[in-house]
Amino acid sequence: MKSQSEEKKYMPELSEKEVEELRKAITDTSQRVVAENIEKMKKADQNRPEAMNYFDEIADFAQREKEIRAAKKEGKKVIGYMCLHAPTELILAADAIPVRVNSGWYDASKLGDRIVPVEVCPMVRSTIGAKMIALSPYLELSDALISVLTCDAMTKLGEILSDYTPVWAMTVPRVKDSAQSIRLWNEEIKAIKAQIEALTGNTIKGKQLKSAIERTQKATKAFRRLQDLRKGPPVIMGRDAMLVNQTYMWDDIDRWTEKTEALCDELEKRVSQKNWVCPTDTPRVMITGTPMIWPDNWKVPTLVEEANPQGILVADELCSSERLLYDPVGVDEWSISDMLNAIGERYLMASTCPCFTSEDGNEDRINWLLTKIKDWNIQGVIYYVVRGCMLYAMEYTRVKKVLDRNNIPVYYLDTEYTREDVGQMKTRVEAFLEMLSARIDI
Amino acid sequence: MMELIGEILKLMVLSGLALAGVLVILIWKKGLATKVTYLRFLVQAVSMVAIFYLFTYPVWQLIILIVIFVLPLFIGRFFCGWICPFALIMDAITLIRKTVKVRYRLLPDKLNKFLHNLRYVLFLVFLIIPVALYLLDPPSSFDTSFLLAMLLSGPFEPWRILVGPLIPLIVPWEGPLAISGVYFSYPYVQEVILYSEVVFSELIVNIIAWVFVGLTFVGSFFVRRVWCRFCPTGASIAVVNRFKGFKWAPMLHIDKDEEKCTKCGICKRVCPVQVTEVYDQKGGKITTSMCTLCTRCVEMCPYEDCLKLKMGGKTVFKSRNWLEPSTIE
Repeated sequence: MKSQSEEKKYMPELSEKEVEELRKAITDTSQRVVAENIEKMKKADQNRPEAMNYFDEIADFAQREKEIRAAKKEGKKVIGYMCLHAPTELILAADAIPVRVNSGWYDASKLGDRIVPVEVCPMVRSTIGAKMIALSPYLELSDALISVLTCDAMTKLGEILSDYTPVWAMTVPRVKDSAQSIRLWNEEIKAIKAQIEALTGNTIKGKQLKSAIERTQKATKAFRRLQDLRKGPPVIMGRDAMLVNQTYMWDDIDRWTEKTEALCDELEKRVSQKNWVCPTDTPRVMITGTPMIWPDNWKVPTLVEEANPQGILVADELCSSERLLYDPVGVDEWSISDMLNAIGERYLMASTCPCFTSEDGNEDRINWLLTKIKDWNIQGVIYYVVRGCMLYAMEYTRVKKVLDRNNIPVYYLDTEYTREDVGQMKTRVEAFLEMLSARIDI
Repeated sequence: MMELIGEILKLMVLSGLALAGVLVILIWKKGLATKVTYLRFLVQAVSMVAIFYLFTYPVWQLIILIVIFVLPLFIGRFFCGWICPFALIMDAITLIRKTVKVRYRLLPDKLNKFLHNLRYVLFLVFLIIPVALYLLDPPSSFDTSFLLAMLLSGPFEPWRILVGPLIPLIVPWEGPLAISGVYFSYPYVQEVILYSEVVFSELIVNIIAWVFVGLTFVGSFFVRRVWCRFCPTGASIAVVNRFKGFKWAPMLHIDKDEEKCTKCGICKRVCPVQVTEVYDQKGGKITTSMCTLCTRCVEMCPYEDCLKLKMGGKTVFKSRNWLEPSTIE
């Protein structure tokens, strides 16, 4: 642990006044954007499921912030994580609150420019900026952060944030498929368990861990149910589903499961009534690539679903959405060591992040994309990359080759954390959707 | 007393078989897919009783040898996973280990592969010894029937090695361990006694027998299905799927859909005999003579339709979205 007086390694000394001014300007925009995005989502689907109201509320940060603050007063700890490789079951088992703290604020990324060059991934710059002006409530409330060293930007992000909060780094091996990798990762899981225990003061015993795993499995079940409903004709707008997925990152897990199940019940009723949200011949689009984080970085899904001709997002392969919860922890024996092993494997092996490599060229991700295309009946793929996200950008060529072979159009959409390019992106997305609808007509 | 037990056992076999039949039909309808482990226990228990019952027939040796040689042609090592009584004993020990929450140990993959090949050697050695004995002490004239008799029931009785794991806990013949008229045995113990009697005195023979029981007990406590890794009976069964020309023969096999697989590694971790092929192989038919077809991997795979147990081209049972928190301990 670092003492407060220690000199900051990265963060500039900002005067209180300056921080206050910046925060005010950005917070105002942020609140406006949240309201605007929700408004747009409501407008896009006149007959929006009632169960979505809950997710609208929880998408507004203020409410959950209040809850977490109250829990903190009672002595609960909050542990933030910056990547889905962080084992949330362990946090839950130690009776702490897991929150994902990646930032989606466009304006904050400009603040991050003061510390790191603009070539760096804007999500990371934005997270730095958010920390500088205390913008993200979850980042502020975190007692510690788990930083998984997946890509270069993430590696340094943890270092920069450690100026403010204790950061626990987890080394993720770049080759999944080897005995030494899983050994290293399992050791990392054990180390992080010890750190969580030390911070919270609760020992993680078999019983708590089992219950945490089962709670997460229940959430996965609800989560998969929602994604499975999207396999048929569109019954929910893609943005709505993405918002549901995304709220999992900070919501209370049990309540989230309950509400998602309620949403699925409602959607199932709609399926039986054949009450679709848009014409069934709307091009079915999947997004893959860099994570998109609520609230600001919502422009691509908005563009796709409000374009003319309209598209519908029925699936995505984003680590901020459908990859969050799709894979369960599969426990063979409920002894603590086996549970830890199972958690370790789930958070390493099941991930299809491009930060991994293998001799067959990250075949896992390719296979998973193909399965999604087949099962969700995808007609076109948008490969979304923010500038600075090397790994996703570099893997594009490989993905395109495979998708071309399977006769699936794929469109490379590169952008930044900015609102300025919405106009020209609209033209690009509409041209792509035009082409997709033409293909469907034929 | 024995007659009464026999009658009870007959009833148990009948009702057990009927129950197993019903359960198999349910599995066919994919309703009970979550309870494969339970079903396996049931089938194993019923088979154990059935095998006991089989032993009461005078020609049981012949029947069992036919069963061991013919059945696996069609079901492969399904026999090992679901029928063999020794496997049931080991699984029961595993259950004990699970309840006391002790972690199993893994054998290094290389050792596992070595043991896997060693069993063919063991199998051959036991077949060669009677011939060698015959050659060491040759009769005055060469006699084929005499050699055959040596092989089948000579002093060395090599068929015992094949039947060994099928000895259930309670046996219908007189044995050294009896509690109120019921005779107990343990797989291979009789053979161990038989072979060590040639050299050692009675006391040492008893000690050896108990050491054998103790070793297999402790072994299967720490290593899941330890005997299956080098069981010579398994070798005789697996010979069928080991050679290319015979791969069509087994009706049952595990099938993998490569595209559905995210390589999450669950299949590899849950496998009681540490088969890595299900994880490593790209897809299609998974044929390995190490696999006992216990279908634990199919049961635990969380991706729908990724792993399947196929019987002559028809899917019997497939992996599914199992996310009801598993009740299986």
